Amino acid sequence: MPRSIKHAVRLFLATALVVSAASAIAADTIKIGWLSSLTGALSSAAIAENQGVQLAVDEINKSGGILGRQIELLTRDTAGDPTKAVNFAQQLAFSDKVHFVIGPVNSGEGLAAVPILARAGVPNLVIGAIDELIDPEKYPRAFRVINTNRQWISTANDYAIKVLKKSKVAVIADTSGYGTASAKTAIELLEKAGIKPVYTVLVDNNKTDLTDEMNKARAAGADVVMPWTAATGMLGRLLNARGEIGWNVPVVGHPAIMAAQIRQLLNKPEYWQNAYAAGYVSTTFGSNGKLPERTQQLVDKIRPKLGGGEIDILFWWVAMGYDTVKIIEHAIKTAGSTDAAALQKVLENTRDYKGVYATYTWTATERNGFPDSNMAVNPANTFKDGSFKLAPR
Amino acid sequence: MLTVIVTGLAIGMLYASIALVYNVMFSTSKVLSVTTGHLSMVGGVFGAYIISVLHMNWLLGLLGAVLAGATFGWLTDVLAIRRVLARSDEHLWLLSTLALATMVQQGVGLWWGTEPKPFPRLITQEFGAGLMDQKFWLPIGMAIVIAIGLEFFYRKTMYGKVFIAMSEDAFAARARGVSTDKIRLLSYVLSGALGGLAGFAAGQLTFAFFALGHTLTLLGFIALAVGGLGSNIGALIGGAALGLLNSFASYYFGGEYQQTIAVGLLMVVLLIKPEGLLGAKNVRPV
Amino acid sequence: MSLQTTKKLSLLAGTALIATLPFWAGDQYQLHLASLIAVYWILIAGLNLVVGFTGQLSIGHVGLLSIGSYTFAILAGKMGVDPTLSVFVAGLLGGLCGLALGLPSLRLPGFYFAMATMAFSMIVNEIVLAQVDLTGGGIGLPGPMFPKPFDSPIGFYYLVTAIALFVTWLTWNIARRMWGRAFISIRDNPVAAQAVGVPVFKAKLLAFVFSGITAGVSGAVFASLQSYITPDTFVFELSMFFFVCIIIGGRGSIIGPFLGTVVLTALPELVSPLAKLGNFFYGLLLLVVVLVVPEGIGRMFEIISERLRPRTVHREPITPDLSRLAKALKVRE
Repeated sequence: MPRSIKHAVRLFLATALVVSAASAIAADTIKIGWLSSLTGALSSAAIAENQGVQLAVDEINKSGGILGRQIELLTRDTAGDPTKAVNFAQQLAFSDKVHFVIGPVNSGEGLAAVPILARAGVPNLVIGAIDELIDPEKYPRAFRVINTNRQWISTANDYAIKVLKKSKVAVIADTSGYGTASAKTAIELLEKAGIKPVYTVLVDNNKTDLTDEMNKARAAGADVVMPWTAATGMLGRLLNARGEIGWNVPVVGHPAIMAAQIRQLLNKPEYWQNAYAAGYVSTTFGSNGKLPERTQQLVDKIRPKLGGGEIDILFWWVAMGYDTVKIIEHAIKTAGSTDAAALQKVLENTRDYKGVYATYTWTATERNGFPDSNMAVNPANTFKDGSFKLAPR
Repeated sequence: MLTVIVTGLAIGMLYASIALVYNVMFSTSKVLSVTTGHLSMVGGVFGAYIISVLHMNWLLGLLGAVLAGATFGWLTDVLAIRRVLARSDEHLWLLSTLALATMVQQGVGLWWGTEPKPFPRLITQEFGAGLMDQKFWLPIGMAIVIAIGLEFFYRKTMYGKVFIAMSEDAFAARARGVSTDKIRLLSYVLSGALGGLAGFAAGQLTFAFFALGHTLTLLGFIALAVGGLGSNIGALIGGAALGLLNSFASYYFGGEYQQTIAVGLLMVVLLIKPEGLLGAKNVRPV
Repeated sequence: MSLQTTKKLSLLAGTALIATLPFWAGDQYQLHLASLIAVYWILIAGLNLVVGFTGQLSIGHVGLLSIGSYTFAILAGKMGVDPTLSVFVAGLLGGLCGLALGLPSLRLPGFYFAMATMAFSMIVNEIVLAQVDLTGGGIGLPGPMFPKPFDSPIGFYYLVTAIALFVTWLTWNIARRMWGRAFISIRDNPVAAQAVGVPVFKAKLLAFVFSGITAGVSGAVFASLQSYITPDTFVFELSMFFFVCIIIGGRGSIIGPFLGTVVLTALPELVSPLAKLGNFFYGLLLLVVVLVVPEGIGRMFEIISERLRPRTVHREPITPDLSRLAKALKVRE
């Protein structure tokens, strides 16, 4: 079929021309690439983060942009697929020649895309929690905005061991990438604190009933259950199982325990009691019943965009998305240019940059910017308007 | 131990219902559609939508789920099967039903969201009921009702007999004046309705989740293959066996090797008895 | 120009374009896409023999790709084995797993076989997730690079293109000759094939094992191209993608599926600005192609070329040579 080859070549050439032409236009804006899994796994987090990102971009553009240049946000839906994340990372870095990349959201996609961006020398704000995403030597221009997974786990462990004074831990995680990695880290950190878990299990997060696992944990003598999964369906079933077998053991673990969707998945609202999750100072109501000032300001600004009524998503997602764009603004303004090496230097020398979600510090050897002091523990059923009360100490 | 059995039986009966749906589709078109699992997903999601979001009572929710399933079944025949069967090509209906299944899954995901949402209580019941909880006996009951209903349909009604006629020899049926296209459409609509019903009944077990489709297609198929293509009782047995095996294996070995065990069962049965436990041996004149 | 010359010239032109692609491609992203197409094509060329020629509906090949990728990542990455050797081992392991999968399932009828392959890919995923110490579980493994001169994007592109061309040449030879005809006969009418003496099961198994080897090799270079592999990469949708490339390209040809691969790999990149709706349009496109041009793009081009340049059929009327006949009859008397 000779003609078909000719046709194919012509099609390919035309495609290449169109793509390169499109990327040649608009060279005067500041381009920020946003690798977001708007569909697929963790889409609810991505959509919320997107709200924060969009608000920040609109806000900055309305007040004249950064250094007089408007921000152009290039959003790419990676759909939770690492291959797409890699392709889009390549596209953003080489074709669109962005100045900064935010994301990816999923740790699985991040593990694939961060090295690509590092190879291309594009500054990257990492919002996945898995520890392996950050390496000052391998990925010199990747700076983490979210807390690390270790921080979640050690905050929860601290609360369970030191505050609740428990010593017989049951670790329940899901079979996903995040679950298996977190279970491993959790056990490691527990053993450092001198505790060996009495029961560990990995469960498929579509399993319809967790009564077996809870029974086994109880039989092993556990006095605290620590789940490490981001799957709200599984957490709902776990809390239901705990209630139905009538076992009033405290549950301390992943922030998803306090997600608003859990409320509807529970058979009885009481099942949400005696459950605590690792959270943040920025989204915790103080003893005077008020949120930290910067958080409240952002809540008020973005409430109309989220529907105007009560906020029913975890607000720290929105705050974090907002902060990433503000950090980019800060970096470019301080460096006075969009040169990647200059931006890296600025970020490496950032100390106590006050964002909404946290106060960030990065150094030449430390690329995890979230401080331990900004972590908190919240009781799950104190969800109100996106934030929580502080757990009793 | 009893929990393990009841949980396994409950989810196994959902698989059995899907196997029954496969049977209905296969009888008239000799096609096994990839959309079968998605029918249940649609039933569950629409049921949850009508009851939880639109705040209507459970009967309307049931009707809604059945209607949604039936429409999807109708779509499957019109879009994916009709034109493709005319070319009598093995690949194409697999591909077309796969394409339709993907489209529906993505469409539902975009509309309903990608997080599993809760399925509402259908009958007021205390939550501490343990093993007698409706989330267990609803799917079991529904599978049995569907099976008995189908038996009645095949034996006592005219359309049922026409279905059997078509499944035995489509050419002869056509020669006797049966409008095979219309009957096939009817069988797809019926299978869609049954699929939606099964998904609705099992909703409290699986939650209303858009990505259930492919897993249910595969596991429902395993139930069908083990029980034997064409046999309704086989479908029930196959489903129960699969559900129980899964449940026991998860209990003793942990949830990590669920699919492996399910497929292991399939392979063993197919190697010993390729047509399934109660399936008919396919002897075809050459 | 005769058909043969046109074919030869086009092939030459195409090869020249492929060989010089890094220089006219535009930027590294497009080079990356081209390398990805080559990597996919290594697997699809082998799978083409199974699906396009022998007619076996394998929708689980992503499992074999996964095995190839992890073998390469573990051997060349974790254990420090030479990458070239690792590629061979990955191919070998892919072939062995193809044999292990094919032996019990190739005897099953169409849909059963499809489901068995789908289940196989799910099992591979489960095992990868469960064997955390070996495969890194959910975190995955980094994909090592090849030694110089293949560690730059251009060098890597030439490496995968060379492998792809070699595999294409192999499949073309198989398809042209005895086994190719055997495969097609099995696809079109297995009963007649068996009656004529074609060893049906052996042929199916041969095609399947070959496709396992190419899948293993493809997985190895895929891991290197992606620079990091996780279980999330090897989802069922990827299997479907391979299958679709072949169907859309047209069964029974080699150039057709190649075009299918090129189009389907480039398409999501063009649709990327549409963020949310990507996967839905992919399914829609598949449905439309299946309903409108089920024989694939190749057939569409054939139809167009027939219209533009209809084949002239030589009519040679047969007239009897009467004088010779008479002479022959006279001799008989």
